Parts: sequence; C-alpha cells; structure tokens
Amino acid sequence: MAPPATKRRKIQHRNASSGNDDGLASASNGGSLQENGVANSDTSMVDLEVGTHPSDVEYSSGEERPRPTVDRKKEEKHTNLDRQKKTRLQPGLAERPQDGVYNAEVYKSNMFKLQMDDLLQQVRVKYGKKEAPAEDAMRVLKDIIEQLPNREPQTISDAEKSLETEGIAIPFPQPRPPKDAKYKLQYLRPTSINATGSYPLKVASRNEEDLSIDLVVTMSEALFQEKDYLNHRYFYKRSYYLACLAAGIHNSEQHKFEVSFDCLGGNDLHPVILVGPSRDGGTYDFSISRSVIRIMLAIPESTFSKAKLHPHRNCIRNKVGDEVEGNIGPPTPFYNASVQADASVTAYLKSLHAASVKSEAFKDACILGRVWLRQRGLGTRIQKGGFGNFEWAAVVALLLQPNPKTGGSVLSAGYSSYQLFKGTLQFLARHDLCKNPYILDTQDAEPPKGDTTPMLFDGARNLNLLYKMAPWSYAHLQQEAKLSVEMLRDTVTDNFESTFIAKTHLLTHRYDATLEIPLSVFGPDTIYEDSHRAMFDRCRKLYTNLTRALTNRIVGMNILLPDEGACPVSSQKPFEIRRKSIVVTFAIDAANASRTVDHGPSAENKKEAASFRKFWGERAELRRFKDGSILETVVWSLKESSTPILEQIVRYTLKQHFGSDLADGARFASDTFAHLISPSRNGEQSGISGFSARMNGFAALEKDIRGLESLPLQIRHISAADPLLRYTAVHADSTQEVASIIVQFEGSARWPDDLCAIQRTKIAFLLKLADLLTSEKPGHTTRLGLENSSEPSQNQAYLDIHQPSGFTFRLRIHHDREATLLDRQLKDKTLDGPSRESAASALALYKRTYIQAPAHSQAIQTLCTRYPALSPSIRLTKRWFAAHLLSPHFSSELIELLVARTFLQPDPWSTPACATTGFLRTLLWISRWDWRHVPLIVDFSANKPSSDKGVHGAPLSSSLNAEAVEVIQTRFEAWRRIDPAMNRVVLFAATNLDNDGTTWTDSSTPERVVAARMTALAKAATVALRAQDETFIARALTPAKAPDEDGTDTGIIVPQTLFVSQLHEYDVVISIASKMLKSKKEAKYKNLEMQQGSSKSSHMQNVDYAPVVLFAEDLKNIYGDAVLWFWDPEALDTIAGLWNPISTTQRPWKVKAGWNSVPVIGKKSKDDDQSDAAVDIRINKAGISNEIARLGGSLISKVEVRR
Amino acid sequence: MPPSKPKSKSKSPNSTPTSVNNFAILPLTLPAQPTVHLPDTLAPPKHYLYIKPHEPSAPTPTADRSLFISNVPFDATADSLRELFFEQLGDALVEHVEFDSAVPGTPAVKRWRNGVAGSGSGAKSSGTGTGPATSKLGKKRKRDEGIVAEGVVEDDESRLPGIWPGELRKSGSTAVVVFVDRASCKGAWKAVRERVKSGAEVRWEGGGGVEGLVGLERYKQHNALKYPSKPILQASINAYLSQFTRAESARNRVRKYQRSIPDEDGFVTVTRGGRTGPARLEDAEKKKVELEERRKSKGVKDDFYRFQTREKKKEAEGELRRKFELDKKRVEEMRMRRGKVRPET
Repeated sequence: MAPPATKRRKIQHRNASSGNDDGLASASNGGSLQENGVANSDTSMVDLEVGTHPSDVEYSSGEERPRPTVDRKKEEKHTNLDRQKKTRLQPGLAERPQDGVYNAEVYKSNMFKLQMDDLLQQVRVKYGKKEAPAEDAMRVLKDIIEQLPNREPQTISDAEKSLETEGIAIPFPQPRPPKDAKYKLQYLRPTSINATGSYPLKVASRNEEDLSIDLVVTMSEALFQEKDYLNHRYFYKRSYYLACLAAGIHNSEQHKFEVSFDCLGGNDLHPVILVGPSRDGGTYDFSISRSVIRIMLAIPESTFSKAKLHPHRNCIRNKVGDEVEGNIGPPTPFYNASVQADASVTAYLKSLHAASVKSEAFKDACILGRVWLRQRGLGTRIQKGGFGNFEWAAVVALLLQPNPKTGGSVLSAGYSSYQLFKGTLQFLARHDLCKNPYILDTQDAEPPKGDTTPMLFDGARNLNLLYKMAPWSYAHLQQEAKLSVEMLRDTVTDNFESTFIAKTHLLTHRYDATLEIPLSVFGPDTIYEDSHRAMFDRCRKLYTNLTRALTNRIVGMNILLPDEGACPVSSQKPFEIRRKSIVVTFAIDAANASRTVDHGPSAENKKEAASFRKFWGERAELRRFKDGSILETVVWSLKESSTPILEQIVRYTLKQHFGSDLADGARFASDTFAHLISPSRNGEQSGISGFSARMNGFAALEKDIRGLESLPLQIRHISAADPLLRYTAVHADSTQEVASIIVQFEGSARWPDDLCAIQRTKIAFLLKLADLLTSEKPGHTTRLGLENSSEPSQNQAYLDIHQPSGFTFRLRIHHDREATLLDRQLKDKTLDGPSRESAASALALYKRTYIQAPAHSQAIQTLCTRYPALSPSIRLTKRWFAAHLLSPHFSSELIELLVARTFLQPDPWSTPACATTGFLRTLLWISRWDWRHVPLIVDFSANKPSSDKGVHGAPLSSSLNAEAVEVIQTRFEAWRRIDPAMNRVVLFAATNLDNDGTTWTDSSTPERVVAARMTALAKAATVALRAQDETFIARALTPAKAPDEDGTDTGIIVPQTLFVSQLHEYDVVISIASKMLKSKKEAKYKNLEMQQGSSKSSHMQNVDYAPVVLFAEDLKNIYGDAVLWFWDPEALDTIAGLWNPISTTQRPWKVKAGWNSVPVIGKKSKDDDQSDAAVDIRINKAGISNEIARLGGSLISKVEVRR
Repeated sequence: MPPSKPKSKSKSPNSTPTSVNNFAILPLTLPAQPTVHLPDTLAPPKHYLYIKPHEPSAPTPTADRSLFISNVPFDATADSLRELFFEQLGDALVEHVEFDSAVPGTPAVKRWRNGVAGSGSGAKSSGTGTGPATSKLGKKRKRDEGIVAEGVVEDDESRLPGIWPGELRKSGSTAVVVFVDRASCKGAWKAVRERVKSGAEVRWEGGGGVEGLVGLERYKQHNALKYPSKPILQASINAYLSQFTRAESARNRVRKYQRSIPDEDGFVTVTRGGRTGPARLEDAEKKKVELEERRKSKGVKDDFYRFQTREKKKEAEGELRRKFELDKKRVEEMRMRRGKVRPET
C-alpha cells in the first residue's frame, strides 16, 4: 500500500502549492504516472480524468488508429485539461474558415448556422473560474472517499442499526430486503473514482438548473458473489455501500457538504448521493459553480455474466423453490438492465469519449440534443420519459459506429454537428423500436415477449439503451422527433426558434385535453412492496385501455408521473408522493374526436367480438348497418349530457376497467375555452356547422341571381367576401348581420370609361337587379344603400338583399376597368396632389374589396373545411380582440391571418385540434411576435396534404418559395426604411396570395400604440397561462409542496378572466345609455320576433344599424389621431379613449394643431425676455369631454375623464 | 399611457394668454353637460377660438371683409357662427362661412389637367350651407365651365342624395367667416378684442339649430338617408348619365381642339382619342408575352461561351457570399435586439 500513500501526499502537496488552477491536471498526471502497476488492485486508484489511461481505453470501433501513448497524452492534455489554453480554444469554432457560405446540406442555412453558433456559445459550459470550486470539491470528495475505512461484513439489520447511529438511513429499493437474509453487507475501498458523465466529456450545458457533475465510484468485485444479480441482492449491497459513502461524507469533519439521496434516472434501484455546496462561504463552498455533484456507483464489467442479464431473462425468482428449470418467471428486462447499467458505466464513458475523438462535431451534436430534449420536457428520469442527455449521446455514439449487418454506419464521423443532430432525429423518427427492436453487435439478446418497451440494444455494452422508456414516452419522443425533422426539412423558414428556443412542453399549449388522476384513487391501494413497479404496471394498463378505447380519436397520449426528487440521507423516503397525481395528456385528432359511432369486429368473428364486448361491457351493442354488415358497435351521444364525447369515453373506460372510485376522482379537462364562443345550433362548438344556414342562403342567392333571365349582362362570378361566408364571424347564425358578396359581370364595351360614371352605371345595374329579383323571385326584399359619399370615385352603392330565410346579403359590383383608370390617375403627373391621393386610396379600397377580400375568403373557407378547429379558434381569437376593445383597430382579415398562421405553421407542435389550443398558441405567437422587425407571412398552401389541391377550382396560387419570401422580406424592410416611425404601416402581413403585406394594415390599422397594447395583453395572458401550468405541475407532479392544501386553489385560470378588459388604463371612458343596450338585447331575439310575424321591412330597417358604432366612428373622424378610441363591437357598452401621447403633448401654438386646444403660457425663450411669453397649447380635455357629451346626446349616460 | 402632465402653474383663468401671433384668443363658455365627470385637476370646460383678420397668401375679393378662425368647435355651422357674431359679437352680419374640413368629408372634384379648362376650384369651399344638399356652388356655374377631369359637375338633379343629416367639423380645424361688408367685419373684430380684454362671457350654443346634427337623431336619420327610395335614385342616375354624355362630348371637343392646335413651342399635345382608339390593355399584354417568347427562342443562349458559364458561376458564388454577409448582419441585429440566444425557460 505504499505507492498510493506517496501519491496522495503528492497531490495534496501540489494542491497546496499550485492552487486551484491546474489542480485537476496535476491529479491526473499523478494518476497516469503509476497506472501500470496497480490497474485492478483494491487500492484506491486515483483517476479523476476520463479515459486518460491508454490501457483503459478499448476503442470499440476498430477504426481508431492506435497512437503512441505520448501522443495521446499530449492531445488529451491539449483538449481536456489545460484551462489556460481553453480560452483560446473555445472561439476556435467561430474562427473556422468562413469561406463565405455554409452549404445548405451541412448547416441548413446561414441563418440557422449562425444562430446555432450563438446558441452553443451560450449554452456550453465554460470550464473556467466559475466551475473551478466544484472541481476542487470533487477532489476533496475523492480524498474523503479514499480515506474511508473498510467495514466488516454485517447482517442487514446490524448494518441498518450501525448506520442509523451515524445518521444515515440505507436507501434500500422496494421491496425491502428480507430480515432473515443470509448474505451480509460489506464496505470495501473502491477500485477507482472517476469523473464521468457530460461534464468531463465537455458536452455539459448550462441552463437554469444546476449543472450536475458525476463522480463514479467503482465498487470492488470482491463484494459480490456470482448470483448476486438475482432477487435484488446486488441492489441491497449497493445501497449499503452507498449509505457508507454517504455516512463518510456526511460525517467528514472538515467539509460540511450538503448530502442527500436521489435516484439516478428516477429509478429507485439506482440510488445516488447528491452533494451540494455547504453554502457557508468556506473554501469548499462551490455554490458559485451552480452545480451539484452526483456520486454514482458502478461495478466492473466482469462482475456478472452478461448473458444472464439479457432482456429476455428472468432475474427475480418468486420463491426459493421455483428455480427449477422451466419454471422461471417472466422476463425482467427493467431489472436486468438496471444491473447491467451499473456494469457498463465505464464502458459508456469510453464509448462516448471515443466518439468525441472520432467525430469532431460529436460534442456539439450532444449539446444540441440536450437543448432539444430539454425544450421538449424529455429527460433521463423515468418520470420525464427515460430518454435524456445520456441516452442521446449514447445513441449518437452508437449510430456513428458501423453497423455490422449493413456495413456502413448511420451517421458518418465527418458530419457537421447539425447533420449529426438531424440524422439522430431522423433515426428516432423513422424506426419504431417498439415493434422492430434495433439490436446491434450481438446475436443472443432477444426482446422479451409481450413487452412493449422500445428496444435499442447495444450489444457491445449489453444494454437496452431505452430500458427506462415506457411505450407512451417513446411515442412522445417519436412524435417530437418527427415534428422536428419536418421542421428541419422546411426550406423556406429556418425554424431555428421552434427547434431549439421554444419551450414546447407547455401543458395548455401542447395538448388538447388532460386527465388528472390523484394517486390516492389511482393506487396501488396500500403502500405495499414494490409500489413503484406496481404503479408503472397500472399506468401501462391505463395506457393500453385508453389507447384501445380512443382509437384514432387521439394522435398522441402521454402519461406524466409524479417525481419524488431528492430526500435527506437521514430518513426513509417520505410518502409525499401519495398526495400527487398522474396526468394523462391527449393530443386529439380533430376530424375524429367527436365521432359518435365506433365500429367493432363483425359478429361472426366470435373471438374478437367477445373481446370487444368484454372491453366495452354494457356499452357494446350489436348493430346492423346499411351495407348489411352486422357489427359490434359502441354509440356515444351528445344528447344525454353536455360532456364532450371524448370525456364520456375516457370516463367510461376508467369506470369499466378501474372502478368508479377512480372514474369519479379523475379530473378531465378539454377545450376549456370553447364555451366562450356561442355554440352552433346542434350544440357543437367546433367545426363549421353553425354557418351552414348562412352558406345555404348564399348558395340559394347565387342560384337565384344567376337564374334571372333579363339581366343586361351575363354574370361571370359571384364571390363571397365576408367573415360570415368564411366561417369566421363570431356569431355564426346571427340574422342581424349583413354578409358582403361581390358580383362581376361579363365584360362589355358599353361601360363608360370614367370612374364617376362607372359608379353611377353600377347603381343603375343594382336598381335593375333589385327590380328583377323582387319581381322574379318573390320573397326577397331589397334596398339600395349609399356609401363613400365623400369619395366619388370609390364605390357609391350596394344592394342589400333580404332573403325569405331571414339572412341579408350586401351585393357590390366589381368592374375591373376601375383599377386601370385609378392606376392611370395615380401615375398622372399633371394631376394635383389631393386628387392623386384620393385615387391612391380608392385604388387600395378597390383592391381590398374586389380582389383581396374574395381571395382571402376563398382561402380561409378552404382552410376551415380542412382544419375543423380553425373556425372556432378564429372566432375565439376575435372574441379576445373584441373583449379587449381592440377590434376597431384590427381588420377581421388580419386576425384571421394570425390564427391561420398557427395552423399552417404549427411548429414546434402539430396542427391544433381544438379551439383552445388554436387560440392559446396564437396568443403565444402574438406575445412573441416582434412586429417591428418581423413580418407576418402566411402561406395558405403550406402544410397541405397533397390530395386536395385546388378543391374549389379557383387558382390557389402556388405556395411560397424561398424567393417569394425574400421578396416579401425586402418589401417589408423597404416599408420600415421609408416609414421608420411606423406612422402608416405598423403590422405587416403578407400571404402567398398577397405579397403587398399592407392590404389589411395600411394607414395604421392598428396604430403602433395599439399594436403594442396587443402584444402586452398577449404577453400578460401567456404569463398567466404559464403560471397556471406551473402551479398545476407543482401540485400534481413535482416533489415541491403544493402551494395550497386540499385543492382550494387549483391554479386553474377561469378562461373568462382572459377576456376581461381593464378600463382603468384608458383616459376617457364613455358609458352608453342603458336604453341603447336594451335595444341591442332585443335584437338577440329578433328571429323570434320575426317568426311571430312582425313585418319584414321594419326588420330590415334594423339590420346592420348600430348607432353606437356610428357614434364611435364619428368620434374617430372628428378627433383623428389625437384621441384613440376603443370599443367592443359586441357589447357596445363603453367606448374608451386614449389621449394619443405622440400628438397631444404640450407644444408651441400653431394655426392648425388638428385637435381642440387650450392655450397656456409656455416657457419664455431664454434669449430675449422682452418678447411676449410664448404661448403653448395643450389638448383641451374638458372641452373635448363636453363635445363628446354634445355629440352623443341621449346615446350616452356618462363621460368620465380619468386623466 | 402616461397622463399628460398638468402644468405646475396655477390654474386660474388669468393665466390663459389673450393673444398669440396676432390671433385674439376668445374663450367660449360651453353649455353644461351633466353626464360629464371630470377629475378635479381639470378646469371647467371652455372652448378657445383663435381669431384674426383674414390675410390669405393669394388675395381674394372677400379677404378684406373676412375673419379667420382657428380651432372651430366640432358642431359649428354657418348658422351657428352667424348667430354668434350677430348676437354676442357686435351685431355683425355674416354673409357666409368657408370651413376647411367636414365630417364626413366633402367630395373633391378632380380638376382638368394643368388647369386648362378648369376654373372650378373644387367643391372644397362649398360647405357654406347647413347641409351638403343645399350647397349653392353647383348652381352658380355654367355647364360649359364645369368640364372637369372626370364625371360631371353635379347639380341638384344629378347629385346622389346626401346620407348624413349635417356636417361636423374636425377637431381643431379652421374657418373663414365672410361678413356682408367691411364695417361688419371691423365691428366684429373690435368686439372680439374687447371681449377678450374684458373677459366677459361669450356663450357657445353649438348645433346651429340643425335638426339631427348631433345625438341619436343624427344616426337615426343617417340610417334612413343611407337608403334613398329607388325612384329618386333612378331619377338622379338618369340625370347624371345624360349630363355625363353631354360633358363627355364637351371633353372630346376640347381634346380634339388640343390635338389640332400646336402650342407656343410648336408641339401638339398627345391626347386620348384620335384616328385609332387606344389599344386594349389585354391585347397589349398578349403582344408583350408574344414578343418575349420570340426573343427567348431566337436569342443567343446564355451558356454558349465558356466565359459565360464561368461568369455565371462566379456570380452565383458572389451572390451566395453576399447573402451570407446579409444573414450575418441579420443575426447580428437579432442579437442586438433580443440579447443572447438562449433556450426559453
């Protein structure tokens, strides 16, 4: 034992002399000096550095060229150790020869690559001053562990007692060891102590959590017997060993570290010690490093026979007598893998190290993978899915190895980090490892029968890498991988944000429905042995039953399990977990979710039918269908209860298979916001059925008009141009509203070639049409309305057609010559300024009304039929805008575009399947939208199944390509350059149909102030939802104490609260007289009144008549941009105003201020005191409020000026 | 929204200045409105008119008997201003008032190019009456004068019925008040200055007695006026179209004249119409496409010579490089804006 002692002294000495700076380096040097002699002895072989022992490193791939020892050492010193060089090495990546351009294949796009570099720079651990204290602490820990004395073998109860006196409870896994066990527990000095995991491999990443640095202590083989892998014996011995280590550290006199137990990867077979900083400010307080040291245990690879631990073997025998051949229990893959995992710690370390040497980009690919996983809520812990950083790195390393079957490797060592990352994702997305296990490098391992755990078997290290994954978490991983691969495949947008930046596992945004089952009812009923596995078994049962019951109604289901977290070393695990819940999340398929009939097997198929009946119990019926088939069937109905069908099924399944206690205790939530929009006639919120009456009306009208015989010109098109006709009006079947339609006649030379005369000719046409319609198609009433009286070259008239069905349509005539004439005027240099301006605005209006509105309507109509959730999402979002009094500033089309974007570019999620997710994701996007610098680009033809191209025959223009996007981007930048203050164009929204981008937002609709308010409101809403998510998770899943006991505050936001506007932020609040509101209420029952036979003409008088809106419009016209007005077009109970701070601050007097002013004495100019005091003006708030009262008259009950 | 800061100075009416840039500042007392609730920091409502004798940059015949008013109340009409001057400001008699703005706006008539045939100053100053329907300008003009760039100068028959019961003024707009004679104008100006000096109260009644100018009545009437009866409309359209035909032939006459007469430099103006009518737009487009096609099939191919391919390659490379620089700049800007690239938490 002499050499180690010398060595220790040496290290200490060095530590003392050379300080922190190169301590680690010297330690490893010391280690490598003496490595030859003492490789496997029981003396403490010191080696903090990873794989620095040439003799230790067995490069599993034969390709690694053996190099002289000296070389390797040098290199490792170079790459791993020398902290001083590091600063020079780090930016090396940025200094890579940037010969202009990154190949699209290699890094997707320049933007992507540049952002990725930034990200890596941010996330990478710097291995600098900050981390040094933690490294020191590791060295100290190592010293402590090395100095721990061996302990004599003891029986289990003796061992427990003796450790109890030291204040340590042994973290035995469930089931606890039998009291009468014959074997003894023992502590022997470790074979080696190594740093392991991501930190020394340089693939660690910084995030808001503490960095965890792993220290692996290899236990001596001498502790174990050949058969210890059976029946948890290994794990009991391991737990004891760990407890001894904990006792040593806990009771170490010099160093007061925080010690606690945790389970590695949430697997209670793998307890580990967490060492936190002492937080006393002492020498070894490494809290500055924001890290925690994990001490893990490992065994030498040769301890147990590899073959015995294959996944299909059984290692937990029921009773002692059962060990007769042929009567071995079912396979225990999880247990076996848990044992094997401990045996392959070092092997993986070597493998990963080899990979990082082999492939330059491996480390970066690992860091990218870490970020990706974290943003998707995936982690190594079983509760987080069982696929985390380690698994990611191991999979990448595995894929870099050549596959002996196919020859080549999946990933090549020459790939860039992005290619490695994408390739790994593709691998995960493509292979269904549950059904087709992926087994490498071995012949004898086979998947256990009847097990649904995915299998990626690494033969060289004898481990199924995915052993901790449940089928649901694997499905989750696969889905995320698929989505991300799709995003990365997109050539138009770079999707960097959604791949790495956006956090995607927000419960309310990610999933359409959640089911929460408290563990108290989910049970295992008692705290009986092995409760962990019992819970997993029940979860599996839940998963299979729900998947079977819901069939294709859902596209994804995930089960979130409560996590225990660390616990103190001194006591047994508390059963805190009993108060938690499991949470099942569903991603539904909008098309199937509300189907009412499920077909089962045919009655003739006896076996399957029996199983079907057994599954559904009394719900199963035998039915005969039109095609003559007799099938087992389950029928659901919305009539009996208002609960959505999905919830009915889930509750029924729970009741059927888990008892009514559980079914009653479970909480189901889906589409929580949907009730805020008025349901359609059949009580269904989603979909477009509510609009069918109006759409039928439109179809009938079109037929009627086309059927008119004596029209002077043939009709070319009749197109819809209204929210009501594209399923996006808030009130689906209101008869009070008017739907705009556009009629275009065949061309004729008899039109006058003069703008004003064209308008009059249109009126003549309308009069003729009205005559014909009322005479030929009885039941229709018509009236001709005038508009735009101040702009004679804009459209002057429309025809309101009131159908017998009660719907009213507003018909305008489109004549395409107008555009040419207006354009000519616009370009006519000889015309005076105002005339040209009016021509410009007339042209814009023309384009909007006759070109863009119908095209937009068509596109949205198509989308609404394709995505059932789009229409309700738009209506909900419109409600939101209205509720916050913003609607007057946002055109309906703009809001529709915002929501359509959520559906067409759903990344990082899949297309929303219910109104709530559609709405919330839109809000989230709005809250993030940096409209000052980023245009909104909607590609109507994106994300489209190839089958339904151009259903309606209309030329849906081709989808956007990169060039088109570039054009739009350039146009946007041009707007920002000519109008940097955003006085005219604030939001920029372009589509593939409309590259202008300003059609719906020109002349500051909305103004900048209003757009900022939209962002602020969306942000506030998102923050509130986030908080809700977090409290929900805290209550249900995480070890932290629930904020409130017994569920008084469930942390659930009542959806309505997002729709309440705060009036106190406005300067002027005008309350509308209650009698005006009452008339609005009456209007609600207008259809009833109509049925009772009130005259139609009087009804028509009231269609589209809202004096309050007219009043508000007048206010807008009178005060221009001096006061901003806000109102909710639905409630119409208040009009709120804001003194525009930009235009109405105190300023020197001028003749045309543009607003009602009050003169005040301004500042005297400093230069000459003789002159009169300068006169400033301020906005005349009192005067204006008086004016408002004068204008409003009996309309208003109160004008309140706040500021 | 930060509230605009009230001035620290005392709020007494004395602090209100009485004149600015030759304008007299005339405070008007407003009718009390019980529905208005003001915070204590605000003084009781007053309206301030800025008045001075009219001095247009281009002299007009009525300038010397006119006063210029800035910050006209939104509900001012010719009648209400007439009443104001007659009853409270020196019994002055107002002939008419020209407002510079209206809500809803007054239609602008496009003028003849370069003012060739247009004496029409547009209808901008037409709002002398109490409503658009009674505007007098149209009547005054002879039809042949009224050749405008498009349409016709409408008269009572051809004008579309008005859809608002009365015009409002934009907040803070101006007006020119024309008095019957210079004496009235002087008297009014004197009275204004006296009132300003003495601080005697001048009341503003507003509305000018126009039925339905404000309040619910305004919107009720609008809803009715918006839908004129069909016979009236038909008659108006017929009148317009026959006037239009006449105007069009007048315009053609002018064009013909222009086509045939060279100007002083000896050039003949090119105008529409002539021996052959203008080409149809569609035909022109078609021809253009055709030509393009022909050029494509005939011309020298771009990759015929080696230098062409080489140059193309170079160009592509340069383009890529340029794009890369651009992207780099964009990312840099993004970094400036958003700070570090960090995964969202």
